[in-house]
This record gives sequence, structure tokens and C-alpha cells, in this order.
Amino acid sequence: MRRSELHFDAVVIGAGTAGLVAGTRLAQGGARVCVLAKGIGSTHLAPATIDVLGYAPDRVDAPGPALEQLIAARPDHPYALIGAEVVGDALSWFAQIVPSGPMPGYVYGGSLEHNQLLPTAVGALRPSALVPETMANGEASRLQRVCIVGTPALRDFHPSLCAANLERAGIEARAVSLDLKLERADMNTLGLARHFDDEKWRRQFCAELSLALRSDEAVGLPAMLGLRDPHEVLADVEHRLGRRVFEIPTLPPSVPGMRLYEILRSALRAAGGRLVLGAEVTSSEREGDRIVSVSTHAAGRDLIYVAPWFVLASGGFASGGIELDSHWVTHERVLGLPLRGVPAEGEPRFAGRYLDEQPMARVGVAVDSDLRAEGAENVLVAGAALPGAIPWREGSGEGIALASGYRAAQVAAAQLSPTAAIA
Amino acid sequence: MVTLSTEVLVIGGGATGAGVAWDAALRGYDVMLVDRRDLAEGTSGRFHGLLHSGGRYAVKDPRAAKECIGENRILRHVAADCIEDTGGLFVTTQWDDPAYADRFAQGCADTGVDCEEISTADALAAEPRLNRQITRAFEVPDGNIDVWKTVWAMGHGIQQRGGRVLPYHAVTAIHRESDAVTGARVRDARTGDELDIHARVTVNATGAWAGQIADMAGIEGVRVLPGRGIMIAMNHRLVNTVVNRCQMPTDGDIIVPIRTVSVIGTTDQHTDDPDDHTVNQSEVDAMLDDGEKLVPGFRGARALRVWTGVRPLFEDAKASDTDTRDVTRAHALLDHSERDGVGRFFTITGGKLTTFRLMAEETMDSVVKHLGETRPCTTSTEPLPGSEAGENYRLGERLRRKEASLIDEQMICECELVPRHKLEEAMTRTASTNLDDIRRQLRLGMGPCQGGFCNYRATGILHGHDGLSADQANQSLLDFMQERWKGVWPVLYGDQLRQVRLDDWIFQGVLDVEHLGQ
Repeated sequence: MRRSELHFDAVVIGAGTAGLVAGTRLAQGGARVCVLAKGIGSTHLAPATIDVLGYAPDRVDAPGPALEQLIAARPDHPYALIGAEVVGDALSWFAQIVPSGPMPGYVYGGSLEHNQLLPTAVGALRPSALVPETMANGEASRLQRVCIVGTPALRDFHPSLCAANLERAGIEARAVSLDLKLERADMNTLGLARHFDDEKWRRQFCAELSLALRSDEAVGLPAMLGLRDPHEVLADVEHRLGRRVFEIPTLPPSVPGMRLYEILRSALRAAGGRLVLGAEVTSSEREGDRIVSVSTHAAGRDLIYVAPWFVLASGGFASGGIELDSHWVTHERVLGLPLRGVPAEGEPRFAGRYLDEQPMARVGVAVDSDLRAEGAENVLVAGAALPGAIPWREGSGEGIALASGYRAAQVAAAQLSPTAAIA
Repeated sequence: MVTLSTEVLVIGGGATGAGVAWDAALRGYDVMLVDRRDLAEGTSGRFHGLLHSGGRYAVKDPRAAKECIGENRILRHVAADCIEDTGGLFVTTQWDDPAYADRFAQGCADTGVDCEEISTADALAAEPRLNRQITRAFEVPDGNIDVWKTVWAMGHGIQQRGGRVLPYHAVTAIHRESDAVTGARVRDARTGDELDIHARVTVNATGAWAGQIADMAGIEGVRVLPGRGIMIAMNHRLVNTVVNRCQMPTDGDIIVPIRTVSVIGTTDQHTDDPDDHTVNQSEVDAMLDDGEKLVPGFRGARALRVWTGVRPLFEDAKASDTDTRDVTRAHALLDHSERDGVGRFFTITGGKLTTFRLMAEETMDSVVKHLGETRPCTTSTEPLPGSEAGENYRLGERLRRKEASLIDEQMICECELVPRHKLEEAMTRTASTNLDDIRRQLRLGMGPCQGGFCNYRATGILHGHDGLSADQANQSLLDFMQERWKGVWPVLYGDQLRQVRLDDWIFQGVLDVEHLGQ
């Protein structure tokens, strides 16, 4: 078996938002970066809005001030380690890189000043700080009358339930189920997004939908307005329908999430970073408190990645980065790092009521205030691998991923000497 | 208050009660079957799905073994569509008394349980995941039985013969007139309405709850000792044959492959309350260890969920408080006119799922005799609705149907291959907004994602289908989510925790169901 060594200034493990942001920021700073990932991260599963803080635990209207309060109240929260200022910087940076990405004109809008309330597929209103332009028109305060449109083939979106719950929230809403002539009885939003990329198909869709619409209502569609050029698709559909249109996130796979992944991947590439998918880290080498290298086994050979800095952005339980085994022991599975937030032996791990706070929810890799992993001083931790948050409840997942990836890159870049970058 | 009349009122919609009502309907009686919840929602729906060959009781309880093999043969025909003929193996592992195997073979011979010793090589060839240290292996005609399908098939059969099936009707009083029971008052759990039912004969088939119903009739001393056992469903069929340890029956010594999963069972803990569904961590740990003994690597598989069931063990003088497995597994039929001087009232309890038909037959024989009539039992030859073809269920059946209609049919639950039209049919048929009731009929949400994907889809369809209000639809979704979680969390680790995190992201992240209506 061949063994090859590759040298980088920084190796990032994980290709979700946190890993891609960390890799891009490091590469933008001139470092030679390689992002290794077992597979694509959670971007393809998530709505792709940048939720900074939605609930604390009541609904947050202004994420900026709420963030300051959270940081004061929970010094163990990832945001407390990252700092509010960095969160703001990371958001500004992100909003700037989106338009220069592979989807011309596609932008994210919003700020830390107030959350935007966007309808979910069940008709709840979910708070987000930054949202893609394709969702912006769904903001609750802009919705007076809306028609929620689905199609029977899309089992992951039920317009009547969505509309009925929007009605309960005081928005005049009705539902239309458009029987499109589709190639099969089961479609997901990905298949439909590919159709929306096709101008002829769009024209037909808009012609059929027009017949069902009333004069002054906006249109809410499942998130499927194309993968290649969503800006143009939105503009075209709005023009043809003569009204405001917006996307509503659905069950996975997430079309806006795939766009977000393409944007971040392209930013990494543009900055000169490398991305290797299918490269699961199978082992690592240590010298004292430092990780010297990690190894992957891919394409029939072992590769050893040597670097002075590592960013661990391999996620939490959802990605398999952290595991609870059948003997009730938790492990960080990539580098074997110590964890924090694990309930003590004999304490409950889970609560019997699903919507209660689950004791296992805040488990993550133990870090110091610079996001350095405990016991591995050259490993920085970002994203869902961090302890202390319950991102799916707080509405903080992408915010933490973005800001911690940004912050990890800052910490590493500050210590990478120019010579190291050249060596 | 509405008053209804019937000839035979059966209280308890488990396998036994439905069996009694089915038996009575076939004998030409007008019947009414009531249950406080859904059919087969209690003990019947909370076991491992084993259709006994009788092998398990061949040494310890020969009478039970004889009953089991007799009923096994009958049910394979009359309930063919509900049964999968997996076959069963009894294997001697290094933890089992090697001398038991010969006693087992003799016991099977004595009780008429078909049993053939095969080489361990053949056993391992058939079941490659099995512990390779086994020293003996016996084939028996164990199988699995889908109890919800069985009970609902009887329910439909009763309805086809003019009988009435009333799930979610809890008995609030038993009517007595001097020395006889004349019916019961029930409350509709969904509307709160009460109604009176007059009956010529009332049968108490409430299993572990039989004492409570007997108390309502003013009858004392009907004591059923609830024996609580846990079962764990592992993702996939780790074995395709029912595998039993060849030893005196104990905890965690059976793995039953049923539908898409394998179920390991069970434990036996005395409990005072038949509604006690506590799952102890130590029981889970012991069960996983027991699984490893039969199938090495068992802990590495995904544990989907754990549940508990309560055996209705009729108490006799030898009962000890701590181990209910030693109390008789035989069923008890009480004719309260003989026992207590209260006519037109019968209690049937105890027994096991495999023998429900026999219990029903004996009960109705007594009822018919009590009424001074002669109407023979036909349940051993009359197939249940859906089983007329006499063909047993095959595992690949749903997949075959899906393959045949690949592009024309929408799958709502991919784990269990539940298509949209089946879901809509079940919603119409049950008129239920409770997705858990629909689950028992279709296996909706019973696979690896435990409702992560199908819950939203089914709620959306339910909302469109029934014209439910948003509030009702939201409640259905939240109830089903909680109902699934109930069995997931006590045995949550490994890849199943990964799955749960994805579900967390879907429900709380993408859909934000927690804040619906705010």
C-alpha cells in the first residue's frame, strides 16, 4: 500500500458550513488549506437561512442585543467564546461573498438588528437573521394575502396545512395544489428545482398557476426555484406571475442548502483552498499536546496530511462526529478528543417528553475560550462539534457554524507565520 | 343517553376479546366489541410477535405446548395473511445447560411439537449471524404474527356480519340486576358521550385489567398479576428464523424476525399497575447483552425502540410476588354464575397470544351452554377476512407491490413502504385523526426514522383529507412525535441517535413545530 505525505498550513475536517468557512477564511489569508470530509455536511438538510438566535427561549426579535444577553447568561455557549463582534463580522463577510459566487445576483439579506419571520412548511413562523432573496418576500410582516402552492407529487410539502397555520397566525392565506404533469408520482424539491432551471418548463408552470391565482396575493412555493440561477428564476417567476413570490423550506433534501454549499465551496476554491470529499479521517498522529497529522483512506491508498493547525468541524451526533455507544459512553470519533456536557453516569441522558430540553443536547468537544480543543493545542473546533448550544431549538445552527468557522480561522491565521505558509 | 342492545357484549379489544366477538359473530350472535382505546393497543400489541410452536413450553408446561402447536396449525390457515412462516430454531449456546437439549427434544416428542435436530453447520448456514459456538440446533414451526392485522381482520369480519366494533369506548359501569349482569355503560373517549349497552351476555376479556372490570360488577377475587416485560426492536432482520435459546425459559432468550425488524424479548417483572410502562435501564442493558449471546455484534445494530407489555397472569396459590413467569401461563375462564352466582357474565384472562382463538372458543362454548343453545364454533375453519387465499405473508410483499408501481405510486413512509393510497384508505376506514392508530394498521413510522419523515407527510394528508382544523392537525403531529419518542429514548444510542438528531433538525429546525400557532 502506498503512503504519501501531504503538507498544508491548515487541515480542516468537515465540509459543512463551519468547515468551509474556516477553510475559505484561512485560504483568503494566504494559508495553504485542505478541507477533508467524509461526505457533504448538513447544508443539504438545512433551510440555509442564517439563523443567529431565534429563541432564547422566547422568540427573539433582535438577535444582536439578545446575543449579548445570551453571552452574559451562558459563558459556556459557543457565542460566548466567539464574541458578538466576531458574529457580526462573520455575517458581513458572508453577505459579501454570496454575490461573488457561482449564482449571479443571488444575495442574502438581513441583519442582527431584527429577525425575519419566515413560514415553515407546516406554517409556523421561524426567525432568521440572514435569508436568501428567494425567501425574503415570505417575511411575515410583508405578507397580507398569500396563496401557498404545492403539487400532489411533492409529498414533502402540504400547502393546505401550511396555509391553515398561517391563517392562525393572522395572515390571510389559502392553498392551491397544482396538478403538474410530472414524470413520476413521487417528486422531491431537487427534481422540481431542476425543472425550474428550465425556462420553458417555468413558463408552462407559471401559465398554469396564473389561472388559479387571485389578483392581490403573494405566492409561497416550496423551496425549489432552481439550483443554477435562482436569482433569475425568482425574477422570471415573479415577472410572469406579476406578484411577489417566495420559497418555503421543506424536508430534506434542501435546494437552498445545496445552493449554500455551492457558494461556500466555490469561495474556498476561489481562495485557493482544496476540498477532498470521500476522505474520512481514519487515524491521527500526536506529539504530546499537538496533532501532527491525520490520515485518510480513499481511492485505495492512505494519505497523510501534515499541518501545524487543524480545524475540527466534523459536527455533533447528527453527522456521526460524536457518538454515544451502546454502553452509554460518548466519543469524539475523529481525533478522540475529550467531550463536555455529557450527563454524569446515572443521570438521565434524555427526557421523556420530546419537546423538553434533552440532557444530551449540549454535548460537544471541550474547548477553551479560543476554541482550542482541550488536550490538543493546535486543534480548533467549529460548528456543531462545539458544546453548550442546542442549535435546533435556539435557531442558532448556521450562525454558530458561520461565526465559529470564521473565528477558528482567525485564531489559526494569527499564529501562522509567513514562513510557515511558504515552507 | 343513547341506549343500544346486543346479544353478546365483549369488553376488551385485544386478541382474546376480538377473538371472542369474532367467534360469537360466526355463531350468529349479534355482538358488540368495546375497548377503552384502540384495538390491540394493550397487551396484544405489545409483545414480540411470536407465533409459538410450543417448543418454548415443551419441558416446562406440556399442556401449554400442546395448545400452542394445535393453535399454530390452525392459525396458519385461518389467519394466513397475518402470519409469516419463518420457522424457528432452538439452539444450545455456551451459556445453556447442555443436558436441556435432550429433555427439550423429548418434551417436543411428548407434546406433539414438530421438532427436528439439524447440524449446527446447517443452522449456521441458514442463519450466518448466529453465535458460532452453538452445540445443538433444533428446527420447530415457530413463526411471526402481525397482531394488529389479525385483530383488525377479526374486527372487519365482525362488522361484515353486522356486529359493532367500538374502539375508544371505556367501560364506566357494569349494569347489574340482582343476580345477573345486563350490560355496561361506556364513555366515548373522543367525544365524552356516554351510552348504555344492554346485553344478553357480557364477556370480560380485558386481560391484565380483568380484575378492574370484575370489581365494577361487584365480583371479588378476580386477581390478575400483571407481569411486565420489555422488548427491543432492532433495525433489520438480524435473523430470518425465530431463534430461541435451548434452555428453561428466561429473560432475553428469543429473537423474533417480524416485518422489517428483529425483536428481542423479554423480561418479567411483577408490577401492581398494568398501565405501568416503565423501562429500566438495567433491563435494557441486560437485553442487549442477551442479544450478543445469540447474535454476536447485536449491540452494533441499531436499536429502534423499546416497549413493555403486561402479561395477564391469573393468580393461583403458588404465585410468588417476584417472579411471575412461574405463575401459570394457562388461561382462566370464569363463569361467574357458577363462581359467584352472578349470571350472564364471563371473564376470560391469562393465556398467550398464540392461543387466543382457543380461549375464545372455550369462552363462547360456555356462553352458548349458559344460554341453553347449541351453536358450534367455526373459527378453526373459517378464514379471517383477507386470509381466504390461505397464503402466508412474505417479507418482500410490500416491496414487490412498490416495484410494480414504481413511478405511479407515492410512498409516504419509505421505511415501511406505505403508499399514499393505503394511508388515505386507512384514514377513511378508521375515521381516526390519531396517527398512532393508523400506524398499527399500516406500520407507518415503525422503521428506522421513527416518523421523522412520514409524520409531516401524513399530517399534511390528514389535514387535506379530513378537513381537520389546523389545531387538530398540529395536535396529531405533536402526539405522534411524542408517541414515537416514548419508545425511542430509553434505548437511544449509536446510529439511532444520529437519526434522532436529523429528526430534531426536521421538526424543530426546518418545521419549527414547537412554535406552531405563536
